[in-house]
Amino acid sequence: MSEDERYCTSTQYRLWSFTPDSLLALRSRTNRLAADRVREAVRRVREARALSSADTSEAENGRSASAIPEGEVDCLTVDEELKLVAFYCRQTLSLGDHLKVPTDVKATAIQYIKRFYITNSLMTYHPTDILKTALFFATKTENHYFRLTKFADAIGGTKPEDVLASEFLLTQGLRFTFDVRHPFRALEGAIMDLQALSKGDIPALPNGEAVTGPSPQNMEKRVRNAHGKARDCLKTSALLTDAYFHFTPSQIMVAALINADRDLTEWYIKLKFPASAGAPQQKVLATVEKCAVMLKEIDSSSEPSATEKKELGALMKKLKKCRNPEKMDLVGLQRAKREGEEGNDEKIVKKRKLEREQLTKEGEVFGPGLKKS
Amino acid sequence: MRNGASKPIDNNPSDDICPVCKSNRYLNPSLQFLINPECYHKMCSTCVDRIFTSGPASCPVPYCGKTLRKKGFHKAFFGDLKVEREVDIRKRVGAVFNRRQDEFETLLDYNNYLDDVECLIFDLVQGTKEEKTKAEERLKAYRESNMGDIEENRRAGLEEIEMEKRREKAEKEAARQRRMAVLREEEEEKLDVAKSKRDVLERLANTDEDANKITQQAQKIILKKSSARRTLAEGAESNGSARDPGLTLRGLKKKEAPVAEKPYDPFGGVDLTPSRYVLQGDYDNEWLSNAKSDIRHMAGGYSLQEYYARTMFEAFSGLGVFIEDEVAGRSLPAAPASVGTAAAVEASAGKMKIEHKMELDDVF
Repeated sequence: MSEDERYCTSTQYRLWSFTPDSLLALRSRTNRLAADRVREAVRRVREARALSSADTSEAENGRSASAIPEGEVDCLTVDEELKLVAFYCRQTLSLGDHLKVPTDVKATAIQYIKRFYITNSLMTYHPTDILKTALFFATKTENHYFRLTKFADAIGGTKPEDVLASEFLLTQGLRFTFDVRHPFRALEGAIMDLQALSKGDIPALPNGEAVTGPSPQNMEKRVRNAHGKARDCLKTSALLTDAYFHFTPSQIMVAALINADRDLTEWYIKLKFPASAGAPQQKVLATVEKCAVMLKEIDSSSEPSATEKKELGALMKKLKKCRNPEKMDLVGLQRAKREGEEGNDEKIVKKRKLEREQLTKEGEVFGPGLKKS
Repeated sequence: MRNGASKPIDNNPSDDICPVCKSNRYLNPSLQFLINPECYHKMCSTCVDRIFTSGPASCPVPYCGKTLRKKGFHKAFFGDLKVEREVDIRKRVGAVFNRRQDEFETLLDYNNYLDDVECLIFDLVQGTKEEKTKAEERLKAYRESNMGDIEENRRAGLEEIEMEKRREKAEKEAARQRRMAVLREEEEEKLDVAKSKRDVLERLANTDEDANKITQQAQKIILKKSSARRTLAEGAESNGSARDPGLTLRGLKKKEAPVAEKPYDPFGGVDLTPSRYVLQGDYDNEWLSNAKSDIRHMAGGYSLQEYYARTMFEAFSGLGVFIEDEVAGRSLPAAPASVGTAAAVEASAGKMKIEHKMELDDVF
C-alpha cells in the first residue's frame, strides 16, 4: 500500500477535496439557497409584525421596524461571502495568538470554518459565533486542553453558552469529520530528509544508490533558510487560501518550499521522481507549481490595506442587513430546543407514571397476566 | 408402579417382610427377595416359586396386574428399587442410542444429542403415563430406523472393550516378565558372588601367593562384575522402554506432526514499506537534539523512530495524488456517468447528502 493510497483513505481526501469548479458550484448553490431562505424568513417576520402591529402602539411599531429594513433584501454574493470568510479567518488567527494556542490549533480552526461555510452561508450563521466554536473544537482535536470557562473568559465578552450554542451545528457542517491533515509535520520530514541528503550519502529512493549527481551548493544553509520561510508560508498563506481543498498536505508543503527556494526544491522533486519513471515528474511539478501560485496570492502580512478595510466595513454592514432573522440568536434557539426536548421527556415520564398507578390500582403490580395460548 | 416400588424403601421394616405372603425374616432366615423388571414389585422367592412355576401369571400386588414370568425374576442389585429401575432403563436406552462423539461434526451437536437422550430417559423414568408411552414409541422408532448404525456401534463398542482387555492383559504380562527378570538377575548375582568366593578360597588353598593380594583382587573383580551388570541392566531397561512407550502410560493421544504455523500478520499482507524515501535510523535535527538526550522524554518510552516514520510518511503521502484529476469525476452531480472509482461513488453519494441537507438543514 503506497503512501498515496493511504492518504486516499482519509476523510480530508474523501469528503473535503474539490476541484476549483466544483467548489465554486457548491458555494454558489449554498449562497443561492441561503439568500432564498433569508428573503422567505424576512417575509415571514414582516407578516407577523404586520399582524401584531394592529394592536400595538405606533411608536413601538416604528422602533422595531428599524431592525429589519424595508424593501427587497440585498443579499451577499458568493465573492463577498468569500472575502468576509477570509477576513474572519484572519480574525481567528489573531484570536488564536491572543489565546496563545499552538499553530495547529489555529490551522485546524480555520479549516473548520472554511469547511463549514462551504455548505452554510454567512447570512444564516454569523462567523463571529462560529469561529469561537471552531477554535474551541480545534483545541480538542489537536489535543491542546483548554477549559471552556477559561476559554470564554479569555476571549472576552463571551459566555460558555455562546461557545457551545453552535456546537452541534458546526459538527454537522463538518459532516462529523474532525481530522484535518496539515503540512507542518510533512515539512519537518522533508527538511530532515534534505539535511540527511546534504550531509551524507544516503539513497534518495528505496533500492536506489546514493545521490551521485551534483547537489546544490551551500545545501545545508539553503535548507535551513528554506525551512524557516516555508514554515511562515504554511502558517498563514496556506491556511487562508483554499489550498487545503485543492491539494494534498504534501503538495502544499512542497509548494511552500518552492516559494522559498525554487532550485533546491525542483532538484529534490527530480530526485524523488526520476525522469526515467516518465509522466509523474512533470505532473507533480505542474501541480506543485499551481499550488505555489495559489500560496503566493496571499501575502503573509496580516494587515489589510486601507481600501480593503473600507471594503470589508461596507461588507459587514451589508451582512448585518441581510442576516436571517430566524437564526440570529443561536443561544436562544439552542435553549428553546433543549427545553422542548425536556418537555417531551416530562410527558413520557408522566405517562409512564399514570400507567403504573393504573396497574397498581387494579392490583397487578407486575403488569397484566400472560395471555394463555 | 412407582408408588409400589417406593413404598418398601421408605419404611425399612418391610425389608424383612414379604409384601405378598407376609412371611418374616425372623421366622424364615433364608428369606430372599426377587423382583421382575416388568413392574419392580418385590416378593420372596417362595412366593415366586408358588405363583409362577405353573406358567405366566399376573402380579399378586393389588392393582398391578402385570403378567409376569418366572424367568424374568432376579435378585435386585441395588437396595433402592428406583435406582435399579433407572439403571435398567439406562442400559436399555444406551443399547439403542449408542452413538459416539466422533460421529458428530461438532461438539455442540454431540452435546445436543446427549441432551435429547437424557430427556428421553427422564421421560421414561419420571414421566407420566403418556410421556412414558411417547418416549417408548420414540425409542422404538429410532431403533427401527437406525438398526444398521446401532449394530455397528455395538460391535465397535465390543471391539473397544476387547482391545482394552487385551491391552490390560499385555500390560500384566509385561509386568510379570519384568518381575521375573529382576528375580533371575538377583539369583545370578548371588551365584556369581558365591562362585568367585569359592574360587578365591581354592586359590588360597592351592597356590602360595600372598593372601592379601588375592583377596583384594577378588574384591575388585566382584565389584567390577556387579557394576557391569548394573549398566547392562540399565541399558536393557532403557531399550525396553524405548521399544514400548505405551506400556506404562495410558490415555495418551496419538501425536500428529504439527503443521508449521505462519506468523500472524496484523495487516493482512498489506505492505507498508515506503516507496519514496528510505527511513534512516537517525536524523540530525536541531529541534530534536534536546529530546534525544532528555531523560524526561525517553523514560516514558518516547520513540524517536516513531516520530521519524510519521513525519517522513506525511512528507510524501499524497504527493502523487492529483485532486484535480481524481476528484473531477465525482465533483459535478450533473454528470454522474463519469463516476470512476468506488471512492468517487461514495463521494458523490455524500454530495447528494449535502444537497439533501441543504434542504432540511435545521439543527434548531
